[in-house]
Amino acid sequence: MYLQATIVLIAMIATFAISSWKLKSTELSMVVTAIVGALVGGFGFPARLLVEGMFTFFDVGMTFITAAIFINIYSATGAMDAIVRAIVQNFHSKKWIVFILLGGIMLIPGALTGAGSVSIFVVGGMVSTVLGYMGLGKKKVVGFVFMFAVLSAVCPPINLWAMLMCAQANMPYVGFDIPLLAPLLVIGTFTIIFFGWGAKPKDKQEILDQLPEPIEGMNWIRISLPLISLVVLFLMQKYLAFYLPVLGLPLTFIICALISILCSPKRKGIKSWFSTINVTMEQVFPLLATVISVGTLVNIMTATGVRGLIAITFVTLPVVLIYVAALFFLPFAQGSLSYGSAVILGTPIIFLFNSIGVNVTIVAAALSFMFPLGDALPPSRIVGRVTISTVEYEGSYMSFLKAIMIPAAFMGGVALLMLIFANKFSFLVVY
Amino acid sequence: MKIGKIEISKIIIIVLVAILGIMASYEFLELRFYREDVVVSDSFTEEKMLSDWLPSIKNTAVDAPVYIFDSGVPGGSVLICGGIHPYEPATTLAAYVIMNNINVEKGKVFIIPRTNMSAATLGMLGNAYPKFFTIETEWGEKKIRIGDRATNPLHQWPDPFVYVNYPSGQNLAYTDIRNMNRTFPGKEDGSLTERGSYALMELTRKENIDLYIDLHEASLMYPVVSTYVAHQDAQDIAMMASMVLSASEFPMKCEVSPSNLHGLTHREVGDYSDAYAVLMETPEPFIDRVAGRMTEELMTDGIDEFIQTAAENDLIYCNYDINEGITMPSGYVVKGAPMDYRVGRHLSATREVITWMGQFDPAKEVIVTFPGFIDVMDNGSGFYLSDPEEADESKVFKN
Repeated sequence: MYLQATIVLIAMIATFAISSWKLKSTELSMVVTAIVGALVGGFGFPARLLVEGMFTFFDVGMTFITAAIFINIYSATGAMDAIVRAIVQNFHSKKWIVFILLGGIMLIPGALTGAGSVSIFVVGGMVSTVLGYMGLGKKKVVGFVFMFAVLSAVCPPINLWAMLMCAQANMPYVGFDIPLLAPLLVIGTFTIIFFGWGAKPKDKQEILDQLPEPIEGMNWIRISLPLISLVVLFLMQKYLAFYLPVLGLPLTFIICALISILCSPKRKGIKSWFSTINVTMEQVFPLLATVISVGTLVNIMTATGVRGLIAITFVTLPVVLIYVAALFFLPFAQGSLSYGSAVILGTPIIFLFNSIGVNVTIVAAALSFMFPLGDALPPSRIVGRVTISTVEYEGSYMSFLKAIMIPAAFMGGVALLMLIFANKFSFLVVY
Repeated sequence: MKIGKIEISKIIIIVLVAILGIMASYEFLELRFYREDVVVSDSFTEEKMLSDWLPSIKNTAVDAPVYIFDSGVPGGSVLICGGIHPYEPATTLAAYVIMNNINVEKGKVFIIPRTNMSAATLGMLGNAYPKFFTIETEWGEKKIRIGDRATNPLHQWPDPFVYVNYPSGQNLAYTDIRNMNRTFPGKEDGSLTERGSYALMELTRKENIDLYIDLHEASLMYPVVSTYVAHQDAQDIAMMASMVLSASEFPMKCEVSPSNLHGLTHREVGDYSDAYAVLMETPEPFIDRVAGRMTEELMTDGIDEFIQTAAENDLIYCNYDINEGITMPSGYVVKGAPMDYRVGRHLSATREVITWMGQFDPAKEVIVTFPGFIDVMDNGSGFYLSDPEEADESKVFKN
């Protein structure tokens, strides 16, 4: 079994390398790799497994589409420009307050939904524009947005990695608020200082001149109603769950997109909104291709035993090596398995640490700071790519990785310290 | 090259994807509509549907057959639920063996072999499960479908971004809104899965069920594998059953249901009805995320080298050896965790808690006989399944 899975793994790596080179498309390469993996693994051409794999991240894809539709429609009303103008006018001379404010704003959508990409879609564009005006170069902007997006996914109340590990380990998802918020405060502060240090805001009048003219009839009700509706719908779905039907994220975003249209001071025809949706689909399409092909690849890795081979290799490392390897293995698992990484690697680690008397709430919290680092890593690079596309960063992907390296390493270091000294941090667990 | 404004390469890809879709849809349809023929014993008295206890689920995907075996002699009543997680198929097979062979001398037994019927109509997304497994019988091979852990999203969608269990308010992962063993005690006007749980609670309350048995299979790396998990009211029953089984047939642990972990049968059935609630887990290597190739062989023989490595590194919570095997207290040597071993465990573990309920509470005594661990280890599960073609038509059901 070891030999067979290893042969399949080698065949898949070789296929991925060759097809990436020849096809110049990561997504098609992943599908080709999956098909070759299935053939080498003796599964023939498993049509059902390939199609099932495509649907593994169906909900994620739907969220991407609808969140992007909402925010593009919202922007098309001119509301986003108005927010940026207001922030520049009121806080131009107080850059640290602006950075803290923007960091806080970034945290909200991800904290409420558990998905960092939602934060980027909803507020990432506005945040990146303001950061640019406050003197941050594109590299720093893309780093800032990415880091706060991943922190938003870790931020309570919804931390999907911790929730999935709890579900697998039959642990209630309680007591996580402070173990997540305390390190988040430290990492967030470091991130703001790291990216904000030395930033010199552009001249205020120059910025205001660059911004589009305020649209006639735009007011704070029109600007805030769609965003307030979004937050209210999120809160209602969590805190009034017993009294509401399940809306789900896609419908929530569509409702808010309709509210945005109703709030628009400019009356536009259906054609104009349809054109906005078309542009949105063009933007989101590469990302959808990624999540669909990653699902296919992972399904075949699972069928052929490659996933098991990787997982067993990691969880049988000595505990000391797990400390060392966790920062490498867990983010890469996230890069290929998305939230499935928490189930496949996170849960065995929890059981392992539980068996040696370590506080598992702190362990799960620490791990949930490690997994999201992989959202910038191949093959999926989901949050990394959403960030780059939203911020309109034109540098290479490698330069993006370099931009986030230090704060990401700091985040990983904090998580590692929590993992190593988990019992020392157990005082943070308050029920 | 282009035809009109469309590149030929794109057309080719669309055609290939369409062909792939058609090929796959044949398999999806097979999974969705396949039903097993099951035979019931002479003790069978009536078939009902779960919707008889909650009409709002009638003709929905979570409505499921309930097979009733009534001795006519006053005594206790037992509800046996298999397949609440269809990807744990030894539970359904154990229920089939019981239905086919049970003799009820006192009291009444309700059996639901596929408790979440909807979840049995698809594969596990991202986990590459085979569609079916087969077992040998005296009359040929019997094909049994596997399924998913959660309600089919075609029947219940979308998921919320967090699932809030009713009425505890406990937050659970979003997919748990479709996991019937996280939606207890259910909600009369809730989601399809919550209504399924509510219907089971209504059945339990209205039929005065004394003992609720929920059959499961678990990852070997899950601490409660090979374990009874009992509500505190059923603790004595489960503890005695565990001691007897561990001394005579196979190792069986016992744990009390955590009071702050909500949504599961062993907590909510005990809290929201008068029944003793017991959940039992067998070791299923397939569920382990470190398991190797996802094949039908792994489902039936339970032999996996990666899990063996996990066992050698003390990462699992039950006995497991694919080379020498594990010698059971009953003398059988078990290599890996084969299907017959897992079915046999459920049979004896079910029988034992029924027996001990009668010992502790004679007014609730239920006297039943059906094959146990030793029988299945000797003859195989298939031996205890009758040929539907040969059986009396009134005793054959599509499930």
